Amino acid sequence: MSESKKPGLLLIGVGQILTSMIVSGFLLGYLLDLYLGTQPIFILIFGGLGFIGGFLKVYRLLTDPELQ
Amino acid sequence: MSQAAEGSSGASTVEYIQHHLQNLSVGEGFMTWNLDTIFISIALGTLMVVVGGRVARNATEGVPGGFQNFVESILEFVQTQVKDSFPGHNPLIAPLALTIFVWVWLMNFMDLIPVDLLPLIGTWIGLPYLKVVPTTDLSTPMAMALVVFGLTLFYNIKVKGLGGYLKMFLFHPFGKFAVPANIVMTTIEEIAKPLSLGLRLFGNMFAGELVFLLIALLGGAAALGAGLLIWFPLQVVLDLAWLLFHILVITLQAFIFMVLTIVYLGMAHTTEH
Repeated sequence: MSESKKPGLLLIGVGQILTSMIVSGFLLGYLLDLYLGTQPIFILIFGGLGFIGGFLKVYRLLTDPELQ
Repeated sequence: MSQAAEGSSGASTVEYIQHHLQNLSVGEGFMTWNLDTIFISIALGTLMVVVGGRVARNATEGVPGGFQNFVESILEFVQTQVKDSFPGHNPLIAPLALTIFVWVWLMNFMDLIPVDLLPLIGTWIGLPYLKVVPTTDLSTPMAMALVVFGLTLFYNIKVKGLGGYLKMFLFHPFGKFAVPANIVMTTIEEIAKPLSLGLRLFGNMFAGELVFLLIALLGGAAALGAGLLIWFPLQVVLDLAWLLFHILVITLQAFIFMVLTIVYLGMAHTTEH
């Protein structure tokens, strides 16, 4: 993103990035659980990863002006 | 207000709102076709194409007339956005951004038409349900977000190569020592993009429509007794205020959808992520 002149526009959706990363983590885990039949395992792992990843992503977006 | 008039309890209020949030649909389950959404979005798209084509055909050089001036200013606005936030060159992006902006704006604009007007006309010609705003139906924003997601995938693979794109999945957030977590994390991140794009538009428009419905219920309460007509001035004031504010909301949502499309596609075009 460093070549772009207006990376700040991504910041419009910072709030939704956090929530939608959590949601998509749970969604992915749910689908994988459904496929493998291991009910609560992957939804918890992927949900947790989505939670961590969402926070990490938002933290990076807000602190790094270059938005790597 | 006809729905609210039918009953005299709180249940009719719920019925009124549910009636307005029901799509005119055929089919069941996954193969449900929301006819009102499809019809209205295609009609608005056709309107956009026809009016745009007419303006283009009648375009004059020199000082443009009023409407042509307006269309040109929209064009210029979108073009500036694309130039500012899209690195590299791709002839597809500007038309795509313009289409998304104008089409989403037009579909959002259906929210500003009085909530009972078109459903009432619908009941005259025998339509039991009519949900006027296509973007308050989750299918429309998610379909558009999926198209953008598909384009992002296509250009990611085209620009970076399949290997380069998959490499991004391996090493992206945590470096090379946590490859399994990286794969899951990047997958989640990629899925989160279209999800947030679609849900943002849907959420904002759905909430706006709901507020309009609740304001309409204020005047609808007068059907229970003429004494409740006392709320009518309040309804007028609230409706006008929310209408004016909502003009901002629909424009902002169309703008955000367009800008994020450009940014996501721009990210797909940069080789260094």
